[in-house]
Amino acid sequence: VLHSRPLHTTQQCLAPLPPLPEKGGQVRHGLIPEEFFQFLYPKTGVTGPYMLGTGLLLYLLSKEIYVVNHETVAAVCILSVIIYGIKKYGADVAAFADRLNEEKIAKVSTVKNEAIKDLETAIEQEKKEQWRVEGRSYLFDAKRNNIAMLLEANYRERLLMVYNEVKKRLDYQVAMQNLKRQKEQDHMIQWVEKNVVQSITPQQQKESIAKCILDLKALSKSAQAAV
Amino acid sequence: MNLSFFDQFASPSLLGIPLILISTLFPPLLLPSLNNRWITNRLSTLQSWFIYLITKQLMMPLNKKGHKWALILTSLTILLLTINLLGLLPYTFTPTTQLSMNMALAFPLWLATLLTGLRNQPSTSIGHLLPEGTPTPLIPALVMIETTSLLIRPLALGVRLTANLTAGHLLIQLISTATIVLLPILPTMSILTMMTLLLLTMLEIAVAMIQAYVFVLLLTLYLQENI
Repeated sequence: VLHSRPLHTTQQCLAPLPPLPEKGGQVRHGLIPEEFFQFLYPKTGVTGPYMLGTGLLLYLLSKEIYVVNHETVAAVCILSVIIYGIKKYGADVAAFADRLNEEKIAKVSTVKNEAIKDLETAIEQEKKEQWRVEGRSYLFDAKRNNIAMLLEANYRERLLMVYNEVKKRLDYQVAMQNLKRQKEQDHMIQWVEKNVVQSITPQQQKESIAKCILDLKALSKSAQAAV
Repeated sequence: MNLSFFDQFASPSLLGIPLILISTLFPPLLLPSLNNRWITNRLSTLQSWFIYLITKQLMMPLNKKGHKWALILTSLTILLLTINLLGLLPYTFTPTTQLSMNMALAFPLWLATLLTGLRNQPSTSIGHLLPEGTPTPLIPALVMIETTSLLIRPLALGVRLTANLTAGHLLIQLISTATIVLLPILPTMSILTMMTLLLLTMLEIAVAMIQAYVFVLLLTLYLQENI
């Protein structure tokens, strides 16, 4: 791919960048790429590269192209320390790096998610407001009924008041008339009694008394008979 | 090839062409370069995190004007760290074992801090020559001592780095020679010496990192006084 791409034919296009591959290149023993083994596999099989390595090493040692001197020991030491370090802490360091990246992404995602959430709540509230608007006519009807009832009640109250006032005035008149008649009656009775009492002469008085005594005697006789 | 103990400190040359420039500049080139991406691979993430850590540590005690030094100090740290750590591998040449290179790094930077202080705040700069609370009779002697200590700083910086690394490398060479020589004679002693070598290797790794850090840290200290 590298060789077929034409170089610098157009302006540099910086975005969007191609995504990073998921995993790095496969390596065997931490040093030798897997492609080398695949390259040798058709001709020499699985043990091919290892035979090559061993042969090369023995050739270098036996022909003294590589001389074993004090640096060899130093090399063994430093390499063992490095390999020990990588084996022990490699995974942790990788996890740490991944965590750094994830924290970076998480920080920005929280902003995005909170913005989305706020907008969603805003949408719901808007929908609720729209629903409320539909019920507006019912609200107005209820209010109108309320006011009509208040007016009606007020009207009836005033009607009652008027009625009571009128009745009071009429009762007053009736009472006045009754009083007047009562007074007239009493006055007449008194006048009649007075005149009657005045007209009773002494002669008449005696006659009435004698009559009463006779009546009484007659009554007493009949009464005795009854007992 | 039969190596003497000092062949590793010889400035490398190939057919008479000096390779010192490449060998000094090569180690930092091994680190991943800047990427256009926001989320990078693990190595770049770790590198960014590490550089951020170093810069924060170095720049915290400095005031705003001192932050102009951030780039050179951080690059210096990375350079020294990579050079020192790569020098622990066998058959490698460590440029920082050469006094000339360390003096070339220490002297100009120290001089820059001194001249910045003398130019911008001369009285404060010279005032640092006398610690607070000294009894009056001691003042002349103390000023002399402080001046000497000031003037010896670049020498100390360079020689510290050179001596630590050279001594370490030399020790590794000597002990590995002892291991190799003792192997046919007294294998047990050889094994014990090998153990010593392992511990020494781990020490050298620590020393490599610490020396790089100390170099830059002292420079920031000198900067703090003067900026």
